[in-house]
Amino acid sequence: MQPTRMVLNSIVSPVQYLATLPEQTFSRLSENLQSRRQMRHELSQLRTQMLDMQGEMQRYQFLKLENERLRRLLASDAREDSLRMVTEVIAVDGDSFLHEVVVNKGTVNGVFIGQPVLDENGVVGQISSVGLTTARVLLISDQSHAIPTRSERSGIRVVVQGVGQTNALEVMHVPHSTELEVGDLLLSSGLGGVFPEGYPVAVIEDIDRDLTLPFAQVTARPVASLDRIRMLLLVWQASAEQQPVYNPVQQLRERMRGEDSENDS
Amino acid sequence: MIVEPISLGQRGVVLATLVIGLVLSLMPMSLGMAAWRPDWQLLVLFYWLLALPHRVNIGVAFILGAIVDVLLGTTLGIHAAAYSLVAYPVVRHYQRLRHFSLLQQSSLIGVLVGLARAITFIIEHYLNNATLLSNYFWPVLSSAFVWPWLYLILRKIRHRFHIR
Repeated sequence: MQPTRMVLNSIVSPVQYLATLPEQTFSRLSENLQSRRQMRHELSQLRTQMLDMQGEMQRYQFLKLENERLRRLLASDAREDSLRMVTEVIAVDGDSFLHEVVVNKGTVNGVFIGQPVLDENGVVGQISSVGLTTARVLLISDQSHAIPTRSERSGIRVVVQGVGQTNALEVMHVPHSTELEVGDLLLSSGLGGVFPEGYPVAVIEDIDRDLTLPFAQVTARPVASLDRIRMLLLVWQASAEQQPVYNPVQQLRERMRGEDSENDS
Repeated sequence: MIVEPISLGQRGVVLATLVIGLVLSLMPMSLGMAAWRPDWQLLVLFYWLLALPHRVNIGVAFILGAIVDVLLGTTLGIHAAAYSLVAYPVVRHYQRLRHFSLLQQSSLIGVLVGLARAITFIIEHYLNNATLLSNYFWPVLSSAFVWPWLYLILRKIRHRFHIR
């Protein structure tokens, strides 16, 4: 079924691109019509933000090296780097049963099924099907989606499941005696093998310790604003077999050239 | 009934309106607005079913539904089944429906859109345990609301291109 889906997705993708055209032209137009002063203001704002980030980055590099060294001292594997690619959401389904969005990267960019997707705040979901130039992202809020997490504060492992609402998630099978508290940040634990470890997923919003029920009722709010996603990040592990293709046209050309030269020799 | 041949361009016009319907239902919108979005592709389909029942039939409804399935990523065949089922009463009673007033038509179209949505929900519920949210049937109202305008616009297009 999967290859059929891929072919069908590729066939209908022009309609999806067509659907985003008006909005894109509009936003490009409004960008062009921005006043000079506004642009200058934004630029200076971005510059200070970047300076901030670079300062943080220096510290991050230092900490990363230190962390690697410490992990080696403990004789455990160093954490591997991940590669990222920015992608844009081109369609959101009006269909309220399925929490999925379509993004504008596909197999030509190296996207694969099960690939984790993040935004600037935290985990958004995973790729559920791909076409040539588009891919569908199953959001963590979908009813069929669950993600293994770990509490940042206490280290307790819990599974967070979607309930079909963009602003609420359910934490499953939590015993009444749990040490979880309202406000705890849940990070991806990396146990399922799909999501890399340590990305923020949700914040616990409410714990109902009703003893007549077998488990405590815990609800959480996703860290990523799932109802307002526009730009997303696709993540590749550095050692995985699938690798991102940043410039598919160029790669195709190179591959063809390579085959030509092989034929010549 | 003798069916006159129809030119490629006229076929193209019918196809283009259906594609525009699909594009309108896919266009990204804020969530608040999207909840009220009419089922454009279904409304356009209803118009052509009413106007050209000898050309646009249940088969077309099925194919359109299948395309919607692929576009929305739902299990293949859910929308195809729903659209073919609601297309039947329209094709069966097109002569009666044509003589309804616009107001009567739009209330009936609203019921049919609701029926299509209900069928989709029931299948989704059995397959994927979908739960019903309160805003699921809002598009029924907006679809009924836009029907008279859509009907007049599409009739204008049909007369302009002499599609019979």
